[in-house]
Amino acid sequence: MTYIGHGGKEIVERVLEPEKAAEAIKGLTPVPIRGQIAREIIDIAYGFFTPLEGFMTRADVEGVCNEMKLANGVLWPIPIVFDISTEEINEKGIKEGDKLLLTYQDKPMAILEVEEIFTYDKQEMAQKVYGTTEDKHPGVARTYNYKDKFIGGKITLVNPPKINPPFDEFFFTPKQLRQKFAEKGWQRIVAHQTRNVPHTGHEWLMKGAWLSTHGELPVEKTLTGVLVNAIIGEKRKGDYIDEAIVLCHDVLRKAGYFREDVHLTSITLWDMRYAGPKEAVFHAILRSNLGLTHHMFGRDHAGVGTYYDPYDAHRIFDQIPEGALNIKPIRVLAWWYCPICGEVTYSGLCGHKEHSQNFSGTLIRSIIQDGVKPPRLIFRPEVFDLIMECAEKYGFGSAFVTDRYLKERNPVFSLPDMKY
Amino acid sequence: MSITINIWINEERYEKLQKAGLASMAEEALAGLKVIKVPCTEEQKDKVLKVFPTAKYDSATTRSIELLPREVKDKIFDLVVEKQSMDVMEDFLKNY
Ligand SMILES: [Zn+2]
Repeated sequence: MTYIGHGGKEIVERVLEPEKAAEAIKGLTPVPIRGQIAREIIDIAYGFFTPLEGFMTRADVEGVCNEMKLANGVLWPIPIVFDISTEEINEKGIKEGDKLLLTYQDKPMAILEVEEIFTYDKQEMAQKVYGTTEDKHPGVARTYNYKDKFIGGKITLVNPPKINPPFDEFFFTPKQLRQKFAEKGWQRIVAHQTRNVPHTGHEWLMKGAWLSTHGELPVEKTLTGVLVNAIIGEKRKGDYIDEAIVLCHDVLRKAGYFREDVHLTSITLWDMRYAGPKEAVFHAILRSNLGLTHHMFGRDHAGVGTYYDPYDAHRIFDQIPEGALNIKPIRVLAWWYCPICGEVTYSGLCGHKEHSQNFSGTLIRSIIQDGVKPPRLIFRPEVFDLIMECAEKYGFGSAFVTDRYLKERNPVFSLPDMKY
Repeated sequence: MSITINIWINEERYEKLQKAGLASMAEEALAGLKVIKVPCTEEQKDKVLKVFPTAKYDSATTRSIELLPREVKDKIFDLVVEKQSMDVMEDFLKNY
């Protein structure tokens, strides 16, 4: 089993054994962190972000902003930074060369080696990464919310998180996922990135991408798989609740819309930046670390508002030098319902554009909101029933994030108690 | 274009609409799912938004009242069937 990740670097898990961990954190200055940083620590520690071993130094951020490359020359489009206030640095006497104990949920989580303390012009960072300085852009707003200083340095997880149900069965580290693919005998795996519950438009996107990916391979054995990789991170009011996204994707296979041997559901912890094309490249890197060979990109991938052209996220892959990325983009148009064809069909094939009916997000949300069971050509009945069930079980009556869900939901992961 | 409340019509609801003689009011929305557009006056719209604070009026594109609680829409649909008419908002709002 090889574990070579992005940039040709080996996937290394930066996790200390429990006995060593308790010893290693003794006497370190504790620094509480927020959810985004905690999720990124998990990503770094298990190799989702290979070749990153920690939060970026100034040279890395500069390279990423100006050339979409890390300081070591490896392709990377989005800064992964640890922000901290000058106040906290002074108060705690933090200096380069120190080790900090990062705490989350009032528990120890990871050690951060303070390699460099630096500042960066946040407007410049926003402009270079997102192509705008408007704080209406959620990625820009996130950038502006960073505190005034950054710490670059390596991360070591000292207290591995416990992933809570129902997410536990969908969380795989890059190494675990690669083992899983090997067991299944998959030679090619295509990623479906999602933050939605799947309607049939999504189902067909995945099926179409599977066909493209499988290509010239023989058909007697299942050599190609679809990996649904749901992005789980900070939620905003009106988003689909995480539980519904993950469980409804999984039920597509359980109910037979995908064969048992071609489909797998998984999650990755990440707070969407909505960086459009740059985020598409980031998603490709992430999934190449998971061991995938192909990545489907639809219309307006990871876009927001009108900041990016719907196909910017397709075009950016033409600019990436040969060999810089070890995963192939599968570029697709939307599927729509055509009453003449009498089916959900690919807009790149159907010639009845003037009759076509689109799966508009607003329409789909309104259907779910009203709970009026739609025809199976829109939602598979098993999926729709499960959305309603998830709303009751996890969403306080709503399939969409509410204030109450934000406040009272069960966390996706918890840090166990740790003696030290 | 007048202000409306859009109510989704699946097969089950379509049968009820047919019995009420209103099947022709249903417009095709997506893959066999239909929609009826219950008209609202400006005043009725204001009252709906006041009584149901989660609701939003989409003035820019569809001119429809969105995000009404499910039960409210169910009630409006039942009233359409019962009265065999699309003009139900006055009656509906009497109770509030
Ligand atoms: Zn057609």
